[in-house]
Amino acid sequence: MLLAAAIRLAIAPFFMHAGDVGTIYESSIMVLKGANLYDFVYAKTIQMQSTTGLPVFFEGYAYHPLLIYFFAPFYWLFTLIAGNGPVMIDGHYPSLPVLVYPWTPLLLLFLKIPIILADVLVVYILAATDSRKAKIYAFCPYVIFIGVVWGMFDALVALFLLLSYLTSSRNSFLSGFFYGLSLMKLYTIVLLPLYVVRLFRKWKAFSAFFAGFAVTLLPVVYYLIVSPVSVWNVLVTFQGGRLMGGVNLYNFIWVVQDLQFDLVISMIPNILLVVALYYLIRRFGMKAPLLQSTLAIMFAYFLFGKVINEQFLVAIFPLMLLCKECDHRLWVAPFVFVFLRSPFYYFMLPILWTSPVFYGYYLQADEVWRQLQAAGYLQIPMYAVGIAFSLLIFWNLLRVIDATRGGISSTPGVTGPMGHRAYDRVLKRARGVWGSSILNRP
Amino acid sequence: MTDRRQRAVATSSLSGCRHTHDGSHGQFREKPLSQLCFSVQERRSGLKLRRRLTLFFAIYIIAMSFIPLLHDTLIAQGRWLGYGTGAYQYQSQNYFILFNDPYDGSSKPHIHVNPGFAPASRISLVEFSDWTSWVNDHNLFNEFNVTMRANWGTLDVTYSRPELVIHKYVEVSSDAVKVILQSEKEFGAHLEIWRWVMSSINGISIKDVAKPLVIAPTTLLEFTFSDDRLQGQGHGRIEMSAMPSQIQIWPHEKGFNRITVDFVNSMMSFTVSGSMEAVGGLSLNWNYALLPYVLPVVSITVVALYLLVGKYGRTIKNRAARRGN
Repeated sequence: MLLAAAIRLAIAPFFMHAGDVGTIYESSIMVLKGANLYDFVYAKTIQMQSTTGLPVFFEGYAYHPLLIYFFAPFYWLFTLIAGNGPVMIDGHYPSLPVLVYPWTPLLLLFLKIPIILADVLVVYILAATDSRKAKIYAFCPYVIFIGVVWGMFDALVALFLLLSYLTSSRNSFLSGFFYGLSLMKLYTIVLLPLYVVRLFRKWKAFSAFFAGFAVTLLPVVYYLIVSPVSVWNVLVTFQGGRLMGGVNLYNFIWVVQDLQFDLVISMIPNILLVVALYYLIRRFGMKAPLLQSTLAIMFAYFLFGKVINEQFLVAIFPLMLLCKECDHRLWVAPFVFVFLRSPFYYFMLPILWTSPVFYGYYLQADEVWRQLQAAGYLQIPMYAVGIAFSLLIFWNLLRVIDATRGGISSTPGVTGPMGHRAYDRVLKRARGVWGSSILNRP
Repeated sequence: MTDRRQRAVATSSLSGCRHTHDGSHGQFREKPLSQLCFSVQERRSGLKLRRRLTLFFAIYIIAMSFIPLLHDTLIAQGRWLGYGTGAYQYQSQNYFILFNDPYDGSSKPHIHVNPGFAPASRISLVEFSDWTSWVNDHNLFNEFNVTMRANWGTLDVTYSRPELVIHKYVEVSSDAVKVILQSEKEFGAHLEIWRWVMSSINGISIKDVAKPLVIAPTTLLEFTFSDDRLQGQGHGRIEMSAMPSQIQIWPHEKGFNRITVDFVNSMMSFTVSGSMEAVGGLSLNWNYALLPYVLPVVSITVVALYLLVGKYGRTIKNRAARRGN
């Protein structure tokens, strides 16, 4: 655990994704000033839509309001040391940020502390059940990259989902509370129907769960009262109307440069997601173990959710480690995808921006990268990796469904299109082991 | 053990199932060979469902990969399409036009020609730049507010300052692209039109010019260019609706890379046209516009690999395991 923390602390000050860390930085400043984050993002969106005449959105703070309260205290601590001067100026695409030294590394360290703490807590919890799993999480390059190199906070979602699962059998209030916190990245909302179905008619547990859940919704209610239009636009219209794409089979849409068409096509996965959720919850929601049900639904979301960003897998990574039907090596696909979508040197801006010489190298490398992008050379491997990831998710989903007595075989030798011959082979082997009486039972 | 838990274990044992249920909120503890607890019927129906799901998903992936191609052939032609952070593009039979987003001063618009012998290729013809163009001494990119609106055939870009509003219309016909600058008031403009590079302009070759050259006033500019990748020779025309006050051409290494046009008027149109002929043998050339054709191949390949690994990968693994045993 200490080693996991040490590695993360050593890396954190020197890397970042300018757009995402910039958003957290800007939002922390605004929160400390008492400004309304959603009004700011909505105003930018209105301005962009007015300029372009297109339904485009400003990609700023589009998260649960609670999220920023995990980061703002650490930014406040940073200001006690470095003062209130600007440290990172304008990092939103397509601009490159201006970074102020020597404060940039310190700022990055402080802003990543919540992520590091979340990672360390996940390692601690996993270590209580199986030290091997804890090691996998602690030293997985993908998890480390997303957290302390990129600066994305899916580790917090991972922690709260894990806690929600672990407390579900003992304390429904806490389970609901942690589930509510996991919504700081809104994609875990797909699990809500599962909880509703599982707790249906268990009124005591149901009430406790939703009481805990409701506590986390209080900030949303506050913002809905204060600025309903902005919150609706940022959390619902933007998130609901996003273009499909990411590490999935839908990133071909980036080739189709027609926003109106893309938005219509992006509805297709939504329909399938609803069908898949209905099927899974109806068939497994009540009877299957919570871990497998949760993962099955998240896998369905990974298959039919419109936007699957590279970092999303971190959120369910600890649960996957607990589930023996899942193959945790899934992380390789989104990890590869990161480097196809963004050049590796983009994450090194805090290092490259320390010298005009490095800055010159950056511009030269970026010229080559842009040429590769413009020619479409990167789109092909990105699409291949996206499909491969979807298929691997699909394979894991089938295994989880099978293990929870969904009636779909995933016994070695029976997978895929092998049909009954393989199935018969398994039967023969089983007869040898178990005797025929058990297997002949209807 | 509680009654409920005892019942769960007992029921599982009766059906030959190796699952046990601890009775708490769906927590199962599984044991090896747990799958073998299913009945023959369950197993067969499970296999059927698995095959159906796999088939559905494989077809779904492959079908989705054809969307870019369908869009290209059925929808994208002959109208302005907005995308990304606010860029627009237009694809006609002969021209591809990009009008960049409001956060970029280049390609305002960038006109490409699609050669008849390689229709999917987009060869740059000319690029209007807002970075390097001025109206009444105000930079078009930095000192004007811009709004963009598109209807079926015309892109209307409005540049506004407190004292002046200018419209830049981009209209596409089958044989030319028209860029019109129009205002209610007369304005003085310095526009820059770029190409890397033009071999000659109005018969003036790079060999004849070492420094920027002011050419004789004219409403017609004709230029030639070549493309190494396609091994083709092209020529382009820029026809202006009124006589400009000055035209200057700028040499750069192997040719001219820009034309600057100065004029004072309330309206000026630039009608751009061009074409390209193949010279010598054609080689295979990759182009972004070919991506819609490649994506279905990628999807079919990856899906086929998945199915093959599902079918043979496990068989090989099982054989190896049996040999090991």
